[in-house]
Amino acid sequence: MTIRNKTAIAGIGQTEFSKDSGRSTLHMALEAILEALEDAGLKPSDIDGVVRMAANDDVFEIDLLRSLGLPNLRFFAEIPHGGGAACGTIACAVAAITSGMADVVVTFRSLNERSERRFGLSSMGGGLGGWMQYYLPHGLVTPAQWVAVFAQRYLYEYGHSTEEFGRVSVLCRKHAATNPHAMMYERPITLEEHQASRWIAEPLRLLDCTLDTDGACAAIVISAAKAKTLKAAPAYIAAAAQGTGSRTEMMTSYQRPSLTRLEEAEAVARELYRVAEITPADVRVVQIYDHFTPFVLMALEAYGFAKPGKAPELLRGGRLELDGEMPMNTHGGHLGEGYLHGFGHICEAVRQLRGTAVNQVADVNNCLVTSGTGVPTSGLILSKDAY
Amino acid sequence: MEQLPRPHPRPDRDTSPYWEAQRAHELKFQRCSDCGESRFPVTPTCPACRSFDFEWTSSSGRGTVYSYTVVHHQTHPAFGVPYTIVLVELEDGPRMVAQLRAPDGESVGIGMHVRVDWEDHPEQPLPVFVPHS
Repeated sequence: MTIRNKTAIAGIGQTEFSKDSGRSTLHMALEAILEALEDAGLKPSDIDGVVRMAANDDVFEIDLLRSLGLPNLRFFAEIPHGGGAACGTIACAVAAITSGMADVVVTFRSLNERSERRFGLSSMGGGLGGWMQYYLPHGLVTPAQWVAVFAQRYLYEYGHSTEEFGRVSVLCRKHAATNPHAMMYERPITLEEHQASRWIAEPLRLLDCTLDTDGACAAIVISAAKAKTLKAAPAYIAAAAQGTGSRTEMMTSYQRPSLTRLEEAEAVARELYRVAEITPADVRVVQIYDHFTPFVLMALEAYGFAKPGKAPELLRGGRLELDGEMPMNTHGGHLGEGYLHGFGHICEAVRQLRGTAVNQVADVNNCLVTSGTGVPTSGLILSKDAY
Repeated sequence: MEQLPRPHPRPDRDTSPYWEAQRAHELKFQRCSDCGESRFPVTPTCPACRSFDFEWTSSSGRGTVYSYTVVHHQTHPAFGVPYTIVLVELEDGPRMVAQLRAPDGESVGIGMHVRVDWEDHPEQPLPVFVPHS
């Protein structure tokens, strides 16, 4: 027995994405959650479970329950490891619902990451324990710098140039350019502009790095049987999984045999395809976590869409464009729409299945969503039909 | 950003010997007393055989650059740019991260031979790597 199509995402909500929201993260979380409930045709009092992302989020279940007037939450949990948690919150909700521990579970992400706390700047000083003690004292202090060490090795082993990273950014900005919700609406870039953008941490340039964003997203997870009776077309959860690899750290897994493979993404991929009973060739649309372009290439390889080192060919061949075989990041991703740590990708996958996306792909029967790369991670396969 | 102090290790009951050795400018790593497997970062058990018994063994501090990044965008007040971080594969130990100290005009590359050197800081001396032919 698996969880295949036993649950569904029945509602989604999303605030505007901006450089300065002008309001609190709690305010935005509540807006997104109430919109998701409205979208599903549910009431706040229907909520009996909350799963939050543990890292860097100020909104706790106790804030939600007092703000929404909820008398009791019978299930609440949090998933660690930053953006690696996004699809993991959905996986946890599925576990709660299929085991009978909750009926209606809210998951969300709310950040003032541009106006209050910028993730591109280090906020860590003084005495540090845990994994950080081995890296931060040397000046290796931000995600871009941690990922750059993997990226340099990827270029070296496969003989690629940084133009291959640039093509990821160009594609995401192209899709964002026609998405009015995107921070980079009507602002596409060329490969030349990517190559001319300044170095952040070699081999990463400014245009290889995600935006910092203010905004919130929410999703409602419910049993498939109940989802069928609700307002919106269900996005069935064909598979949801978390995974780690050998010696996985937070973007510093430098002791593992290869720095050009994302072992945790490979683990999630195996589980997703097993549970959904499909193969990479069956995937129609992908929303790949894109905080830094090199990890998009490695993720495409980990999820089985290209052999190691060959993901650049997918981009060069146009296969990930809106009219390609398997469009990627149809909303513009983190690089173009905004950085809600993978939650925007989940909302976009639901819209693609419903047929309501601004960059709608034809005949979408399923969508793969991936979460943070280089960290303990998670993924989803959503389906239009409960096969 | 101005108020942020320089990061330094906060040794705990597992990691203290690692940092203590570095106070004496020695690079030491754990090696399992039962199966001989080396390990890093510091942890109480051997990931190969789960033994709690281990020795601290000294490294020559020589190795090759496995990967690197040159940091151009300053993100922390304690680290002025540009600077180069190398991930070094030690000839007798694990891979480890430190800054590269190379003469002007000498550019970093994967495969470059390096050896460890030491720089003192108020809270904790830290290893750096220098080119070594």
